[in-house]
Amino acid sequence: MTDPEKYARADEDILKAMEKPGRAYLLGLGVTASLAVGGGLLWAYQIRNGLGVAGYTHPVNWAVYITNFVFWVGIAHSGTLISAVLYLFHARYRTSFNRPAEAMTVFALMVAGLFPLIHLGRSWVFYYLIPYPTERQLWVNFRSPLIWDVFAVGTYFTVSAVFFYVGMIPDLAIARRRREGIRKTIYAVLSLGWRGTGRQWRHYNMLYLFLASFATPLVASVHSVVSWDFAMSLLPGWHTTIFAPYFVAGAIFSGTAMVITLVVPMRKTFNLYRYITDDHFESIAKILLLTSLIVSYAYVIEFGLAWYSGNIFETELFRYRALGHYKVFFWIMVACNSIIPLTLFAMRLRRNIPYLLIVSLLVNVGMWLERFVIIVSSLSRDYDPYAWNALIYRPTYVEVGITLGAFGMFFMLYLLFVKTLPLLSISEIKEHL
Amino acid sequence: MNRRSFLRFLGWISGSTVMTACGKRDSRPKLTSYLLPPEEGIVPGEARYLPTTCTECPAGCGGLAKLREGRPVKLEGIPGHPVSDGGLCVRGQSSLYRLYHPERLRSPMVRNGGKHQRMTWEKAFSLAAEALKESRERGHRNFFLSGRTTGTLSALIDTFCGRLGILRLPEFEVYAHSAVKEANGLLFGKRDVPHYRIEEADFLLTVGADILETHVTPVAYTRKISRAKSRGDFLWFHVEPHFSLTGANADRRFAVAPGGERYLLAFLLREVVEKRASKSRPPREFMDVFPPSPAEEVSRSAGIPVEALREIGDRLVAAKRPLVIVGGVSAAHQGGLEAAVSAALMQWATGAIPERVDFARSENYRSVGTFRDVEELSARMGRGEAGVVFLLRTNPVFSLPQRFAFRENLKKAKLSVGMGDFLDETLREADLVLPLSHSLESWGDAEPRRGVVSLLQPMLPPLHDTLSDGDALLGLLRKASGEGPAGSYKNHLFEAWGKRLGDSGRSKLLEQGYVEATPPGKAIPPNWKKAASVLKDTGPAGEVAKPVLVLASSLRTFDGRSRSLPLLSEIPDPLTTITYGPWISVTPDMAKRSGLEDGDEVTIASSDWKVVLPVKVQPYLPEGVFVVHRDALESPPVRMQARTGEPVEYIEGVSFAKTGRQAALPILSGSFSQQGRGIIPDPAHLDESRRHKRWTLYPEHEHKDYRWGMAIDLDLCNGCSACVAACHVENNVPAAGKADHLKGREMSWLRIEPFYEKGEVEFLPMLCQHCDNAPCETVCPVFAAYHNPEGLNVQVYARCVGTRYCSNNCPYKVRRFNWRQHGWPEPQRLMLNPDVNAREVGVMEKCTFCIQRIRAAKDKAKDESRKVRDGEFTTACAQSCPTGALVFGNLLDAESRVSRLARSGRAYRVFESIGTEPSIHYLRGKHPGRKT
Repeated sequence: MTDPEKYARADEDILKAMEKPGRAYLLGLGVTASLAVGGGLLWAYQIRNGLGVAGYTHPVNWAVYITNFVFWVGIAHSGTLISAVLYLFHARYRTSFNRPAEAMTVFALMVAGLFPLIHLGRSWVFYYLIPYPTERQLWVNFRSPLIWDVFAVGTYFTVSAVFFYVGMIPDLAIARRRREGIRKTIYAVLSLGWRGTGRQWRHYNMLYLFLASFATPLVASVHSVVSWDFAMSLLPGWHTTIFAPYFVAGAIFSGTAMVITLVVPMRKTFNLYRYITDDHFESIAKILLLTSLIVSYAYVIEFGLAWYSGNIFETELFRYRALGHYKVFFWIMVACNSIIPLTLFAMRLRRNIPYLLIVSLLVNVGMWLERFVIIVSSLSRDYDPYAWNALIYRPTYVEVGITLGAFGMFFMLYLLFVKTLPLLSISEIKEHL
Repeated sequence: MNRRSFLRFLGWISGSTVMTACGKRDSRPKLTSYLLPPEEGIVPGEARYLPTTCTECPAGCGGLAKLREGRPVKLEGIPGHPVSDGGLCVRGQSSLYRLYHPERLRSPMVRNGGKHQRMTWEKAFSLAAEALKESRERGHRNFFLSGRTTGTLSALIDTFCGRLGILRLPEFEVYAHSAVKEANGLLFGKRDVPHYRIEEADFLLTVGADILETHVTPVAYTRKISRAKSRGDFLWFHVEPHFSLTGANADRRFAVAPGGERYLLAFLLREVVEKRASKSRPPREFMDVFPPSPAEEVSRSAGIPVEALREIGDRLVAAKRPLVIVGGVSAAHQGGLEAAVSAALMQWATGAIPERVDFARSENYRSVGTFRDVEELSARMGRGEAGVVFLLRTNPVFSLPQRFAFRENLKKAKLSVGMGDFLDETLREADLVLPLSHSLESWGDAEPRRGVVSLLQPMLPPLHDTLSDGDALLGLLRKASGEGPAGSYKNHLFEAWGKRLGDSGRSKLLEQGYVEATPPGKAIPPNWKKAASVLKDTGPAGEVAKPVLVLASSLRTFDGRSRSLPLLSEIPDPLTTITYGPWISVTPDMAKRSGLEDGDEVTIASSDWKVVLPVKVQPYLPEGVFVVHRDALESPPVRMQARTGEPVEYIEGVSFAKTGRQAALPILSGSFSQQGRGIIPDPAHLDESRRHKRWTLYPEHEHKDYRWGMAIDLDLCNGCSACVAACHVENNVPAAGKADHLKGREMSWLRIEPFYEKGEVEFLPMLCQHCDNAPCETVCPVFAAYHNPEGLNVQVYARCVGTRYCSNNCPYKVRRFNWRQHGWPEPQRLMLNPDVNAREVGVMEKCTFCIQRIRAAKDKAKDESRKVRDGEFTTACAQSCPTGALVFGNLLDAESRVSRLARSGRAYRVFESIGTEPSIHYLRGKHPGRKT
């Protein structure tokens, strides 16, 4: 097959995904969209009746919503890692994953960004968190990690969205070429008059390289800042210097798992075996394994320091975390994040795609529980024993519904993405054909 | 855009602007201040203080009502009042909730079938008058039963009954102290509860008397104990069959077997008489009749170790000015009279009368009768003798045992007239219900202690169609007899005061709220013959069958009368931290044996009675004893002492069984142990914590004139929770309710943390520590929590977005979040303090050190061009504290009380090692010079 034929077939294969949706797709879209709408309605209910409708048991003032926030920010991480960092390292296998991963980043951030608002006592004055000029000279507190968060997540979302869009411009031009009618017009506008001239490619590559270098430090910084939401506090179990690297590794770990979760079914559905091979999955699995080891190391260090320091508050907290009310979640977390991924040392398992999918799903569960355990168990046992939580925090249907709504929203956006935008980076794939 | 479309747009825009301005007129109520005040004495925005007397329990503490715009918003103690001297207890603080209670009776009602129908006072009076007339014609007896009344009202009732031919019965109180009165009557010819001058004693032995909770006049006793402690040589032992707040606060506490008090006290009496060098010795005849019993035997029958017996005895013998008080559950059993007689003789033998035990100023309990009197009344009603029965502010249906059949017999009366403020168990049975005004709506007086006249005056017109006690009686008298004193009860009172106190005395009463006469006390010799006849058979008698259910009085509801006040359910019981009860306390051993945990339901049963209650495991409770507060049981099957008429507050030989169910029991404390964290540190801990010096990146806060701080003396604090109630009322802190408490979402800004350690309980009031390096401030993203120039951590409600990070980061966990919009049912909204914001849903709130009071004091000082003086004002909690444990003031002023206390060797701060630098200094350890 000649190159032009190969290129044409790649265009055909990848853009085929954007054809008229089947019944299964519409069903999936219906389910996810109703989850998202249901979550929205529950949020409205919560705004009307106050946060009391959630299951908070003081002093557990943060719970599922913040867990979801950290979880989705974490998911968002692998997008940048795969697109930007691996781009700079010239890792070839990235081309098969970068578009889905970038889309995932943008959507995950859209979901993540909602949770700090959902969790606010008075969501209707959320804009107090943004520094804007007022006649009363009110300003935000730059000492508060929550303000750092606003900036970190805001920056990250902007950069990821731009990066996602810029990377897509040549592919949008291909879509423009192959579509008719109103869609052609839309793609024409979106592709910004891309014609694929040498000059355009030169500028494009410079911009892409620049954005990649700009986004790379964000991989480390954003989740470090998110971790400081906890580490900057006084709370035993949160107040730890290891949190930044620990959270960054955890974010990449969970993000990578989510990429696998999304790409495996996508490859099967759209028959993209030619472009996404088992070799690619194996490379991603290695990242998963590495980050799992880092995260496990952090778990050990946390307990080790609590024991070694002899600090009465820390010791009690970590005893409680492993043996207290939330011990079941803790041990599921250890199994999912530290023990099961160890099996990926075996090459056979690494290349076994169904197995890999199961591991990635378990890692998603484990990482969600990790955040839950860190947040809820630490809050339950702090300094004053009178205030210790004698009750077990249980999420109410509102929290469960909003959490499911978030998943619904994420997958709904993803489903819309696969039908409307080129789901793999065609131009980059062509480079490697 | 052409001219036409421009005009169209213009039309749209102006139209929609006008539309948005439309709306319901009263959707946003306006706050307009008066141009002309509606009444004399109302100055908008300014508080006015008027003296009154607390009527929540019979103690009669003096209160100052704070009025804003003509309505009371807070009660405080009157400093210098002869009863309470500035303190007010948790019930007194909460009694404003009675005034504004949504379920108060709103008009007279008559029972028609099963329902009550509203009617006018005029008709109600006619109805009663006709019934009285009819009853006279038919030769029925009419009865009048009330709770304890004193002063002019009591005299008016006499007039009322005399003129109308009504038999006035001795008054009904559950805590009538009948055994003590009987003993004093036998020995000294004075059926009275004497005034105990605890402050004069150097050794106090209380047996069963819960002097910090409900016993006669708890605020007065609390004050006296603080005064005695400040003298330095005071020691207090407490003996009780169960475990009470009073026991938890004594220097030493001994458990006695239920019913064993009489043996213990007889033994101690003999020790005192034989070993104490004293002029007053009983005659030989008495000593011969009163048989000696060896310590070992007494130890067996009283259930107290021999060493403990000897220790108490030695102290009593060695003390210069000892005082023995018997009462509460220890007098409310079959041997109660013997116990009371031994104690009274001990008072005489130790020379306590009249210096420390003053009969001339006795607590005014003479008019109060016994259970025997109400039993008789019930029997006479049962026989159909009763015509009209008046029941004034008393609830015998709830308090009397089923056996008396008061409820059933009341129905046999031709007409029962219930007078009170709530439709309680008794009023529900009454044919005619007359609603009475709250004491803050009425004129009146009280004489809680002989010689002390304390004023009641109306602060606001009655909220509902109610009359004061006096006016209701006068109105009825006039209607029924066609004559009677003209004019209102106010005129009647003024006349009575004029007669008794003279014009100057009356003016003084109206001005300061109380007058006090000082009748001299005198020594009285006991009647030895009667003493001998009571004490001659103190040999081992029949034991009380275990397990025993002790009916304890409740700090929060007295005998149950304050049950309906929502604030009192909201404030935790200090020993168990349970808010919405009831519950039954079980010993740890028994819980272990039966596999019981907190909240498990058990059935407690005696032969013909049972009750199902959730369990709370109570450390230090003696084996074989269950405790339940009296308010938990309606018509408990108590027996009666034949000789004294005092109820037996033990239910013997109860059986108990698990039901297997769990009840939702809100226990607010997460841990009753300090978990080794030194929250109340050992002295060794103290030195260590002082060595921590933290460096900080931030510049030190600068304070110009004031830096507010507080010192809390843990040796004085007894956990009475008055401060908690005061804080609730002052700061519009809402009642969260049981469902929220079960999720740990209490709203109180101030809490009492009990810690059980080494056989003792210590109470630590925990409130915002107003840290210098406040962890809450740095994490708030919007500066809602910020540090003000006077060292306060201020919370700006309007700026708060509700991230709740401040609460997460607070090591003391004193911040409270509004999980929902808390409501104030009408007319409770009227008691909101207008100086304090009522917070909306979704914001964080916490102790402000009563910033509104600080502002008021500073404004006043500014008007007078000076700085605020030490002690000029104080926070609501410190004001109410009967012990004086809380001291508030300016830490920058080296001479202020608070800074002297903060610099004293006893001061420490909680979690000093975290480096938060709190402004609250806790004082630990006994008072300097106090022995242990």
